[in-house]
Amino acid sequence: MKVRVKLQGTLPDHYQGTYPETGLEIESGTTMSVADLVARIGIAEKKVALVSINGRLARPDDLVPDGAVVKFLQQLSGG
Amino acid sequence: MKFLRVNLTDQSIHWEKCSEPYSGLGGRALTSTMINREVEPTTDALGADNKLIFAPGYFAGTPLINTSRLSIGAKSPLTGGIKESNVGGTVAFSLARLGIAAIIIEGQATEGTCFLLSIDDNDAASLLPASELKGMRTYQLVRRLQQRFGTDTSITCTGPAGDALLLSASIQSTDLDGRPCRAAGRGGLGAVMGAKGLKALIVNTKGTVPVAIADQDGFKKAAKAYGAAVLADEFSGEILPKLGTAALVEPINAAGAFPTNNARFGQFEGVEKISGETMARVITERGGKTTHKGCSQCIINCSNDFVTPEGDYVTSSLEYETIWAMGGMIGNDDLDAIARLDFLCDDIGLDTINTGNALAVAFDAGYAPFGDSRTAIRLVEEVAEGTEMGRLIGNGPDAVGAHFNHPRVPTVKGQGMSAYDPRAIQGMAVTYATTPMGMDHTAGWVVDQNLEAFGGTVDAHGAEGQVEISRATQIHMAAVDSVGICDFAQSGLAGDEGIKNVYTMMSARSGKPFSKDDWSALGEKVIRAELEFNRKAGLTSQDDRLPLLFYNEPLPPYNVVVKVTDEQLDSTFEFLKH
Repeated sequence: MKVRVKLQGTLPDHYQGTYPETGLEIESGTTMSVADLVARIGIAEKKVALVSINGRLARPDDLVPDGAVVKFLQQLSGG
Repeated sequence: MKFLRVNLTDQSIHWEKCSEPYSGLGGRALTSTMINREVEPTTDALGADNKLIFAPGYFAGTPLINTSRLSIGAKSPLTGGIKESNVGGTVAFSLARLGIAAIIIEGQATEGTCFLLSIDDNDAASLLPASELKGMRTYQLVRRLQQRFGTDTSITCTGPAGDALLLSASIQSTDLDGRPCRAAGRGGLGAVMGAKGLKALIVNTKGTVPVAIADQDGFKKAAKAYGAAVLADEFSGEILPKLGTAALVEPINAAGAFPTNNARFGQFEGVEKISGETMARVITERGGKTTHKGCSQCIINCSNDFVTPEGDYVTSSLEYETIWAMGGMIGNDDLDAIARLDFLCDDIGLDTINTGNALAVAFDAGYAPFGDSRTAIRLVEEVAEGTEMGRLIGNGPDAVGAHFNHPRVPTVKGQGMSAYDPRAIQGMAVTYATTPMGMDHTAGWVVDQNLEAFGGTVDAHGAEGQVEISRATQIHMAAVDSVGICDFAQSGLAGDEGIKNVYTMMSARSGKPFSKDDWSALGEKVIRAELEFNRKAGLTSQDDRLPLLFYNEPLPPYNVVVKVTDEQLDSTFEFLKH
């Protein structure tokens, strides 16, 4: 399977040169969960607050389908 | 501290000592208490008997960072109820350092005339005839006033929209670079200022009056810890300086809560073209500024300067709410057009949120296709020109909906929705419906408490627990608005230690003990006064309702409707209504 990972917010600053703006293509021989994907690409878990798969919110144990676009987003506050 | 009362009817000016029942109050607590006590609730909001109050937060002028918030209060011509809208820039700090706790504008100038109110660094306040400036756009106005009064001034003013008494009119205030790009946008307070006949407030920025603090050392120690916490926080210390509030675009869209095409969808296909990440890249490539200090005392620097491909200034600061209102809400994925619309709203003196809502309703009614940014720009220009369609847009979404007989109008108490769809984040349904301010996100932002990923503990798509969360947050925010801490510096008061620093500073400033209960009591006191005013003004529980579209139209992609019941809404502040 193949998925595209996009880092949002300031995450790219922490992994500069590793993850291009268009996203990083990840290949895997087995099905991966969101948590597997986070571990695979080596981002600290605490840096990722919110994950979307193809635009929908995802949980750590959700499986990532083949061809998915996965976005990693940070903790935010607002107003 | 002292009050300055200015009457536009007879052009009288009086200084007053700050006394009971207003002693120890600042910001929203002061404006709402004063409006509730001194303004007849049924009066014409655009008449002589309304009052327009400018009040720095209680912490303004102190060593605490990010406290340059000016609360502006009045009876709102938009909602028919009480209003507090606050703005950053330099004016709150400048007033506080002149020892001024509030400026109260009363009466009304003769029709067709207007005045400037100038306050210099020797406490000399003067009203100056300025009818030739009526209708002038804010950027031109500020340039002219800076030539006349100097650049050591903070200018707070109306544009053509306020002078024409339009209901979405903002009050604009200058940033640290002297540009009128900071807005007290909500509630049509620009129309109140225009109706008074006050074109601009010009405040010298060189005041040196120290703000009285009973325990200087105690205050400074807590303020230092507060500032350190703000810088240590990932959001306020790292994300906001890089992306500004536009960092919210992608996450809120992912949550399906980014109202698109007049709230027909919760996600916007063009989101990546208008995201904070894209905005920051575009600004950087063009030589603009992604990290910019807009307000006195700010250490976050979440402002930005958006520029053309040639590097020429377009607007400052392009923020989340405007990117949504002039982007997703009208189906527009052209970031340059959004920036142009932001500038126009600042220049004409318009609330970007209400104006985006008005455009969205017009587009939804078939006036133009969603995404037609050229028409959006033309319509906003028409507000300044005073055409029939321009006046409709300037009067907000309810006016547009009535004109087109179009029922899909996302307002509460006449005020347009903010950038969080209440179907996808149901805590916002409670805030939107029950805040005395009309549909407004700042009254009680509970997005984080609704999203599990952000530590939330309630189901964002369910009703359970939402009243309790919104109630507590609204009371907290009423206190925050009163002390005048910037929303985005709230990381400093997160957690037990952070909020204790605020209690310590309250005590150190006043010389009286201050506890958690006092903080809640402050927030409750403010909301109680606001609810009382609204009730006397004729607003009822039926005004605390969301439009039917939020109950009847499932919002894609999660296909949810608002589940919070009327009874739950009515229970939110029942205990404060007696």
